[in-house]
Parts: sequence; structure tokens; C-alpha cells
Amino acid sequence: MTSLRRALWLLAFVGVVGGAVPMALAIGSDHLDNRALNVVFGPLIGWAFIGTGLFAWWRRPENRFGALMTAVGFTWCIAGLSVADEPGLFIAGLLLGALPYGFLVHMLLAFPRGVLEGRLATVVVSAGYFVTTIMQFTWALVYDTTREECGCPPNPLLAWDNQGVADFLYTAQSILAIVVIAGLIVALYRRWRGMSRVQRRGLTPVIFTGLVLAVDLAITLAADLSGVSGAAEEVIDIVGLSLLASVPFAFLAGLLSSRVSRAGAVGGLVTRLADAPRRGELRDALAEALDDDSLMLAYWLPDTASYVDARGHPVRIPAPGSGRGVSHVERDGRRVATIVYDASVAEDDPGLVDAIGSATALALENERLDAELCARVEELRGSRMRLMEVGMAERRGLERNLHDGAQQRLVSLALTLRAARTRLGGSEDGAGELLDRAELELELAISELRELARGIHPAVLSDRGLPAALESLAARSPVPVEVGVLPAERLPEPVELAAYYVISEALANVVKYAGATHATVDVARSNGDVLVEVGDDGVGGADPARGTGLRGLQDRVRALEGRLAVVSESGQGTRVKARIPCG
Amino acid sequence: MATSVLIVDDHPSFRASARMLLECEGYDVVGEAADGESALTEAARLSPDVVLLDVGLPGLDGFEVTNRLAANGGGPAVVLTSSRECCDYGSMADCSGARGFITKGELSGETLGALLA
Repeated sequence: MTSLRRALWLLAFVGVVGGAVPMALAIGSDHLDNRALNVVFGPLIGWAFIGTGLFAWWRRPENRFGALMTAVGFTWCIAGLSVADEPGLFIAGLLLGALPYGFLVHMLLAFPRGVLEGRLATVVVSAGYFVTTIMQFTWALVYDTTREECGCPPNPLLAWDNQGVADFLYTAQSILAIVVIAGLIVALYRRWRGMSRVQRRGLTPVIFTGLVLAVDLAITLAADLSGVSGAAEEVIDIVGLSLLASVPFAFLAGLLSSRVSRAGAVGGLVTRLADAPRRGELRDALAEALDDDSLMLAYWLPDTASYVDARGHPVRIPAPGSGRGVSHVERDGRRVATIVYDASVAEDDPGLVDAIGSATALALENERLDAELCARVEELRGSRMRLMEVGMAERRGLERNLHDGAQQRLVSLALTLRAARTRLGGSEDGAGELLDRAELELELAISELRELARGIHPAVLSDRGLPAALESLAARSPVPVEVGVLPAERLPEPVELAAYYVISEALANVVKYAGATHATVDVARSNGDVLVEVGDDGVGGADPARGTGLRGLQDRVRALEGRLAVVSESGQGTRVKARIPCG
Repeated sequence: MATSVLIVDDHPSFRASARMLLECEGYDVVGEAADGESALTEAARLSPDVVLLDVGLPGLDGFEVTNRLAANGGGPAVVLTSSRECCDYGSMADCSGARGFITKGELSGETLGALLA
């Protein structure tokens, strides 16, 4: 047995005796109006606070909350000495009669960490102790206990017998007590506002007790002011004492009910996991079990030493001190996942989240594999996009090099040949004819090179956007093309390029296979997507599975998470439709 | 009197061969410029009859230079040129206010004269 445990058992023993002494004194007291009330509630309230306080002290030894609760119980028992007929014991009970309330206020504002937070809480608690100690002691110095008709023993501390001053001090003490209770309510309300749902649930017994104190005080003051006596006073006393007696049980019930509900939730969690949860359901199940909507599951990817969520998107684990709890789940010595939760969830039971993590390790491992797959798909998608962008940049560079290099040199050569031909004039040795042929060949080479460069990358698209590029396509097409209204703003480059290639390939097919007399091109934006449609009035019956042109387009569009569809009923023309997300 | 020409192109080899060809064919090449800004300066300074203007210039492109030359009124005749084809620019060449368009490989005194006629 640890020394703390021994000390707590000793306190428990003292507490049992301490509660029994006032009970015995009450039985034999000569100055009690209601003996039964004192005999029942005197020890009951003391024992309840001492028992519950010692339990809390044992569970959370580093937390002063349990000690404060125990102090309420002990001072309550000492206050019970005021029923004694012996003047020394009587005045000791009277002096400490209000102190339990001082400790109670301190206990409520220190819940659950055991320390006071904020200036208001410190001021309220200090004022509470002032009212219940210094004011109480001062009042005891001027209060003649034999004046009352209760038959109380004489006050051995009476220094100045002055009823007027005693009444004044009593009134001042009552008013300040009201101020302290009001401050307590305000401080509790402020804490309530700044708390998460989970924390609020834990604060319920504190709020209950705060209200009990307020009601108790209101009843007592109302009784004092209205001067009620007899049966009415007895009822008021019973109600006040019953409420006070219920306080420690409220704390205990709160504690136990939360443990029971958690145990039930863990059981429900295990049952729920047996039904093979779908993606994301595991998080919801854990969030429900811990009653923490903010719960987050992060799955560990050993290859990249990083965390992802169930969909494979990267996530960050909060740093220590962020108010978030972090529990690592391992299986066979390997990290599987990390549970990130509201730190207040585990305040009462620090091992709870670890236990839940262990119970769900297998399900977490399954979802981790799923998340890893998602992350890889995501990575592949990203690398496909990057490859496409690199390809686009390279093609753009190649086209630019052809344009600025070989094309310019061939053009210069053609012009030089033409100049030579001019200077030569009409020679008769056939040189002019040779130059004409060379010039013709050169023109063909320039033309082929131009087509090649255009096929590598449509420079006009980069330079002047989709409308100019489509106008150019339409102008070069042997089949008349009607270009509809186009988006006024420039589209992202990959989208613009994909749309261009879809249209270019579709128009090439119209020329090659459709036997059409007319084609239409439409590009529109819709809900963040770009819709591209190329239609013709040709023979239809196109099969997208045949030929590599449309398949290449499918790949290009899919790389951007888009979709390509071909509608081509025989005899009813062909419509190529693409929907490309626009970022 | 020979038609005076200002050649504007960012490729020196084209400027040199175009100058040689046009001079062979009776034109008076009065100056050269390598970008849009200096084209405007040289056009103002030399007052040529014709500006043979590349479309794909760095900075101000050929269309913009054409607009600015036309904006002053009574400027030189502008003939656009490019190693790309006219249809690559859609209707822009037609709408630019230029006298015409010659693909670079087809430049000759004759094609230029046909546009100026």
C-alpha cells in the first residue's frame, strides 16, 4: 500500500469518527430546535463530502480538487460541534460554521484541474474565505450567544457585548455572501461559454452545485428576512440541507455515469466494427464512442514517414500544448494510426483513448491500408499531372526552338535564293531553273516544318487563347466549321490545351470519316467545369474504341479528372463531348 | 523613286536576307528594328513608305505596333509577316489595320508590291 493510500485510509477513519462525534453531541444537546434534522444531516453531509473527496483524491492524487472536497466534509463535521453544550466545543463549531461554504466555492471554481484559472475566480474564492473566516471570527467576538432563546452555552470569546454591532456584522456578512455567490455564478458562466461540448458535459455537477448554493442562500435569506418560524422554518431547513447533501452525490453520479456511458460506447464500438465499416465510418464510430466530434484519425505511411486521412490526403499532427490529445496506435510493434482528440476527453481517464486505440487496432490497420492505397492513387494522379505539365512545357519549348531556329534559317535561305535568282536574271545555262527548283523544295520544307511545329504545340493557343486558336482551326478545316460563343476569360493552360486537342482531333475526324457538310464547336463553362462539344451532320457510327486518336484524348481528359463521351448513332452525325474540371 | 521600307523583326538573319532580297528587287531599305518599341521610334524618325513588320515580336507584338502606327493617322503602310501562316492568327491579321500579310517564306518584291498596289 502506498503512503498516500495509507494517509487516505487514515483520513477516512478520522472522517467516520469526525462525523459521528457531532451526531452524538446532537443527540445529547440541550439547545437544539430540531434534533432529528441535525442527527441525520450533520454526519450525512460530512461523510458524503469526505467519502467522495477521498475517492477523487485517490483517483487523481496530483489534483487538489479531491483535497478541497474532503476539506468541505471535515469543516462541516467541525461546524457540527456548535451543537455541543460545552462552551469550548460550541464556539469552535460556531467559528468554523461558515468555512465549509468557503471551501465549497473554492472547490467549484477549481474543478476539474484543482487550480484556479483567471482573476475573477481568485477574487471570488478570496472573498469567500474572507466572509467565512475573518468576518465570522469578528462577529463571534461581539455576539452574546446566551441572548438567544436557544439556551446556547456562553461565548468564551465574547470581547464586547454589543447586539447592534453583532447584527450589523451579520447583515454585512450576508450581503457579502450574496456578492460571492453572484461572482461564482458569473465565473462559472464564463467558463461554460469557453468550453467544448465534452468539457461542458463534465461541468454539469459543478453547475448543479452552483445553482444549489444560490438557491440555498436565497431560501435562507428569505427565511431570515420574513422571520418565518416553526414548521415553515423546518421545511426550509430540510430543503436546504437536502440540496447540500446531494452535491457530492451529484459529482459522484456525474463521474460514474460518464464512465458507464463510455464503457457502453466502447462495447458498442466493438459491435459496430464487426460490421466492416466503410471508409470514414471508423472515425465516426470512435468520435461517437468518445463523444468528441472533433476527433481525427491520421494513418501512418511508413514509406513517406507521413500521415494521411482516410481519403489519402496529407494531415498534420498537432504539436504538444495545442489543447489536442494525441494517442499513437501500434500493432505488432508497428505504428498504424494516431488518434487526435479533444484533450478534455481523457482528463478523467488518461488511458481511455489508448485503450480504445488498442481495441480498434485491427480495424485501423485495415483502414490504414485503404488510406495508403488512396494516397498512392492521389500521388499517381499528381505525378500524371506533373508529367503532363512537363510534357506540355517541353513541347512548347520544342515548337519555340523550331520557330526561332530551323524555320528562320530556312526562310532566310529561301529569301537568299530568291535574291540570287533575281540577280541572275534570265541566264541560259539552266542555273535559273535549278534555283527555281531549289526554291520550290525549300518552300515545301518550310511548309512541312510549319505543320510539324503546329502539331507539336499550337503556339497561337498559348499566345492568343482559345478563340484565336479555334478560329485558326476552323479557317484551316476543309469542312465549314461554326464556332459558337466561347468563354470570355482565359482557361487554365492544361484545360485550354485539352479542350483544343479534343476539338482539333474531333474536327480532323470529321474531315477524314464523317462525310459531313457542316461542323459546330461549342465551349462553355458550367459549375466550375468546361464543357466542350464538337458536332457534325455526317454519317455517324463512329466507334471510340477504334483508333488511337480518341483514346489519346480520353487519357488527356482523364488526366484532368474529366470525362469524354462520343455519341454517334449511324446516320445521325457524331457529337464528341468533354467535361473538364476547371480547378 | 524607290519605295522606302523599314524591316522590323527580332531575327537578324531574316532582317539581313529580307534587306538583300528587297534591295535586289528595287526597294530602298531605310532601316531595321528588332522590337516593337524601336519599330515605333524608327518609323517616326525615318517615315518609310512601308513597314515590313513581324507579328511575333518581343514586348509589343506586331498587331499592337500596327495599332499604334495607325493611331497617329497618315502613317506608313504596314505589311505583317510571320513564319506562321495568316490563318494561324484567325481574323486578327484582317482586323489589325495592316495593308496585308505575307508568310515569311513567300516574301518577294512582287508579293510586297501586290499588297501595296
